[in-house]
Amino acid sequence: MAKVLIPTPLRQFAGKQDSVELTGSTVGEVLSALTSTFPDLKKQIFNDEGKLRSFVNVYLNDEDIRYLKKNDTAVAPADTLSIVPSIAGGSTVAEPPVTSLSKDEILRYSRHLIMPEVGMEGQIKLKNAKVLLVGAGGLGAPLGLYLAAAGVGKIGIVDFDVVDFTNLQRQVIHGTKDVGRKKLDSAYDSMRDINPNVQIDRYDVAITSENALEIIAGYDMVVDGTDNFPTRYLVNDACVILKKPNVYGSIFRFEGQATVFATQDGPCYRCLYPEPPPPGLVPSCAEGGVLGILPGIIGLVQATEAVKLILGVGESLVGRLMLYDALAMRFRELKLRKNPECPACGDHPTITKLIDYQQFCGIPQHTPEVAVVEGDIEPKDVKAKLDRGDNFLLLDVREPHEYQICNIPAAKLIPLGDLPKRLNELDPSAEIIAHCKSGMRSAKAVDLLKQSGFKKVRNMKGGILAWSDQVDPSVPKY
Amino acid sequence: MIRIEPGAWQTMVAHAQSTFPDECCGVMVGKIDGDTKSVTTALALENAYKGKQEDRYEIRPEDLLAADKKARAEGLDLIGIFHSHPDCDAYFSKTDLQNSCPWYSFVVLSIKGGTFDHANSFLPNADQTAAEKEELIWPKS
Repeated sequence: MAKVLIPTPLRQFAGKQDSVELTGSTVGEVLSALTSTFPDLKKQIFNDEGKLRSFVNVYLNDEDIRYLKKNDTAVAPADTLSIVPSIAGGSTVAEPPVTSLSKDEILRYSRHLIMPEVGMEGQIKLKNAKVLLVGAGGLGAPLGLYLAAAGVGKIGIVDFDVVDFTNLQRQVIHGTKDVGRKKLDSAYDSMRDINPNVQIDRYDVAITSENALEIIAGYDMVVDGTDNFPTRYLVNDACVILKKPNVYGSIFRFEGQATVFATQDGPCYRCLYPEPPPPGLVPSCAEGGVLGILPGIIGLVQATEAVKLILGVGESLVGRLMLYDALAMRFRELKLRKNPECPACGDHPTITKLIDYQQFCGIPQHTPEVAVVEGDIEPKDVKAKLDRGDNFLLLDVREPHEYQICNIPAAKLIPLGDLPKRLNELDPSAEIIAHCKSGMRSAKAVDLLKQSGFKKVRNMKGGILAWSDQVDPSVPKY
Repeated sequence: MIRIEPGAWQTMVAHAQSTFPDECCGVMVGKIDGDTKSVTTALALENAYKGKQEDRYEIRPEDLLAADKKARAEGLDLIGIFHSHPDCDAYFSKTDLQNSCPWYSFVVLSIKGGTFDHANSFLPNADQTAAEKEELIWPKS
């Protein structure tokens, strides 16, 4: 006879006894003896299919029978069986994982389902997956469209930007009709149109050290579609801290990179780049340009890696930096190793919480406001000087192909890169006003000229874009 | 109706406040007389949830088994489970429901800014689809 201990609330179904003695040589036999003696107990412990309810654990003495031989576990007469519920909870509202697909979904995903590498199991994994896209721009556009189409169940997007005309050359998730709308809303509409089964969470904020952990914690992985260093380091460190893979991509002009960072054994972004480049050294796409198709290629490499991580198939880019050159149409790869000295993911990490990434990357806060250096001149004042016939040189430091897009006729063109070797063309005693597209490069030109002994040099604030706003709207913006 | 005696209540509130901002958990032990449950002792258990415990808790079945044995040895009954919701109201969340069992009273303590705010007791059904609110009486001091 083995003893079965009855939990307090179930005693009413067991003749008010706190324990019963039953015969049986296995756990299964004892349990069936229990429920045949006390039929009312059966529906408390077993479900309609005759299986133990999900919250019920059976212990033989001090051992969970799941780790013994389950129902076939042998029972000796001196043994005690206990019925113990699993109990957990919390204030979060966790969605239970889905275990099936609807008829419509089976039809929609049929080209996935017939491949054994995906199949029903894989498609259900995709449906249960939660992926966070940081940025709904060049990389975010193809990522959002294809991850939604593939059936990733929950996609979060972080973006605070508005669609403008210069985005449409590459950000195919937005249309001409969307110019002026929030990128989040435009991306949401496109993704829901492709696949209404997808849950899309919109975060209309800049990702910061204050909110990153909270936002990322709700997802299985992050796909980084950002275009600046502070955010890249922030996303990397947050992923390392939360142990979430970071599917990385970056683009510039005709070249792109992609890899997977921050997996259990793989390297992180800081293993590759421990320190950010000095501010201004690496131009952004707005400054340097980008082939519109390029983010399509790189974004879809990231989407492929995200889907492979979810499915657990294939060979991921962990430990490999994929390099793509569109002009040569060549893919290459570099080996990446986890750096044991890495401050984020190394053996003795020093970055255990998020820091000030603007400061880390050497970028002063609120750049536009403090960038008003003494001596800067507004475009409308430059126009007034020209109209008065003042004696000064207007110097355009952009590239010749930009000059072809638009120019101020009075300006002399010397691209910033050529300036050091063409200083002899300029008179150090003359008054010079430099301009470029938006005022960044011309500020560097002003510094260079001052260091070379030029005295009366000023920067035209806001570049030719501001000229178009203040002086001549017929000058196209680019 | 579930009534919590002062000694037990003190243990529950102290445990919930000491684990703040994380969730706490434990068991309530006492006697059942008809429709009235009296909790005379509360036992704090370790929150075994692996991950951020700000909004999750988990009780190890082994710990529950040991608590049940201890209660039996003292001639008492295991009546319920308690846990806290830090900076959050004392409702029975979906997570609570989906990881509950219908045999016990579930008391939820709302702890706001580190101090006790209010509490509720719930009786979940066997299918883990709904929980009925149960009258809860705790010592007001």
